[in-house]
Amino acid sequence: MKRGMKLLVGVLVRIPEEEEMMREENTEELEVLEAQIKHLQAEVKGLHQQLQEEDCRNITFNFEGPMKEALAFMCGLTEGEGKEVVVSKLEEEVEQLERKIKLQIQINGISVTRCITKTLDHSGRKEVQLFCISGHCSGLDFQVEFKLSEVQEHQRTVNELNVVLDSKDPQSFSSFLSRVEENNNLLLFFRTLRTFSDRCADRTRAFQHFQEKFPSVVSLPGGCRSEVMRLSHPELSGCVFFVYWSFEVSTEGAVILKIRLLPKIPEQALQFYSQPAGGAAEAFQSLLRTLGPEATIESVIRGVGLLPDAEPSS
Amino acid sequence: MEGASSNGVLSKLSLLEVEARSRGSHPQPQQSRVKELKAKVEALKTKRDQLKAELQTHKLLQRLRLSEVNHSEEEDMDEDSESSRVLRLMARHSELTDLLRAHRLIGGYEVVKTHQGKGVCMSIATGYEGVYLDTYNLEMDTNPKVRISRHNIPPFIPLDTLAEQSDLQTGIRTFLDTLSQHLNAYVGRRQQLKLMKEQHKSVEVMESNILCSMLVLMFTMPEQVAVLCLLDYKDLSRCLPTQVKLDCEDEKLTDSPQWKKSCSLLLELPVHRALTAMKKMGTVV
Repeated sequence: MKRGMKLLVGVLVRIPEEEEMMREENTEELEVLEAQIKHLQAEVKGLHQQLQEEDCRNITFNFEGPMKEALAFMCGLTEGEGKEVVVSKLEEEVEQLERKIKLQIQINGISVTRCITKTLDHSGRKEVQLFCISGHCSGLDFQVEFKLSEVQEHQRTVNELNVVLDSKDPQSFSSFLSRVEENNNLLLFFRTLRTFSDRCADRTRAFQHFQEKFPSVVSLPGGCRSEVMRLSHPELSGCVFFVYWSFEVSTEGAVILKIRLLPKIPEQALQFYSQPAGGAAEAFQSLLRTLGPEATIESVIRGVGLLPDAEPSS
Repeated sequence: MEGASSNGVLSKLSLLEVEARSRGSHPQPQQSRVKELKAKVEALKTKRDQLKAELQTHKLLQRLRLSEVNHSEEEDMDEDSESSRVLRLMARHSELTDLLRAHRLIGGYEVVKTHQGKGVCMSIATGYEGVYLDTYNLEMDTNPKVRISRHNIPPFIPLDTLAEQSDLQTGIRTFLDTLSQHLNAYVGRRQQLKLMKEQHKSVEVMESNILCSMLVLMFTMPEQVAVLCLLDYKDLSRCLPTQVKLDCEDEKLTDSPQWKKSCSLLLELPVHRALTAMKKMGTVV
């Protein structure tokens, strides 16, 4: 008994000593932990900042809806079956977006192939984003760059517009483009581009139509998308008319038609024509005003004796 | 039992027991603090790892978006195909969202299918010189024929006439293009009037109409000569006037080169800018 008591007392007497030691260890451990926490907090703060900077550096992303869930998935926050749901929801939305894009291209007649957005400033009430948009419209490649400022969903403004248009005939667009950039008239640029490409398509259709209808007379030395149509007599190789069908774009964005007829008739053949060939150009312009381009060209083909069975006009 | 000595030990024992028991119900403050901090460390570690993964995802998405490769067609045989697949879907999603936004910003007609595909709703954006202005909406039935059902286009825009001129059945886009031209021209003229009122307080607007197709202004030339200016915008698809008439009492002024220059400025430039140029020339006070 006495021995048991001695042991017991011994143990109980040791406890305070151990407590003392434990208290010392705890203090150390606490210090270590507190240091760790400080370090981690600094890391987290740094990461938050880096994320904000990424937005401004290359591309701005918007994580909402299925995208937000997908981001959580990438961070390892989604469990088990949740993963399948994330993937299928995302796929569904992507398919929906693909359909929308197809519809937009169809209805707009413009194909946008690339759009990169960068947030430049979103402090306070104003948000400024930089846009780089490129695409094509019936064979014309374009690239626009501009800053978009939005003041709290009130007014959206375009600034510092820069337009690059890859056109075979830069002259017809140059004064229009510089005016558009001066006035940041983004919408006007695209309206005009569409109109221009529509008029070009009209011309191509007309040229192709004439080539099919009068194959022995009509040729397109530059292809059906060019400005030139060549009318030649099937037998008299020296008698040639050139139709120049071009466009000029005014600073206001109006697409103006310019069609000219250029006869190239050698001296000897002139005797077959009662009217001097030079008058043909003026007659052409006045016909244009009344009949329009296609009917005028057709009457030139018929009337100037280019068709094999037609008599030269006397 | 031992006598007094054991009593002393026992009492000490019971004291210690009491102490021990009291410690049991209130755990040592040091111990709980350690647990608390350990938990905090774990939470911060998790947050840090999550943010790192988010940052990594951002960087990978940017690389995918900025690369020239058409990633949607690539077959991926990666081991980690699950997250790689999600990443590519995310990149495609953000690309498509940006492309749709681009379409809207460049003035494309925003189309939304309605009534289970039996109708469409189109939005026409308008703007003037970099400022986005009103958006107009048109709802159309597509079955059996294409027909405009609802819209918020102002009544002074000849919608029905324009619809008749273009064949809605075959060329909706021609119709939309013409309508958009008219709407943008109207909105442009209206904006010019607003800017003119803001920038040229000395110029008085005598008359204007809701379509902004006619404007009568009064401004002063040097030596207090009052000039009446009539601007006629007969072509409703344009923002610039088709006719300018300046009138004043002093007959001599009407023949001066300054007068002719002012007339041509008012024909070539939007009214607020024409007036600025005229002020610079000293024609207008």
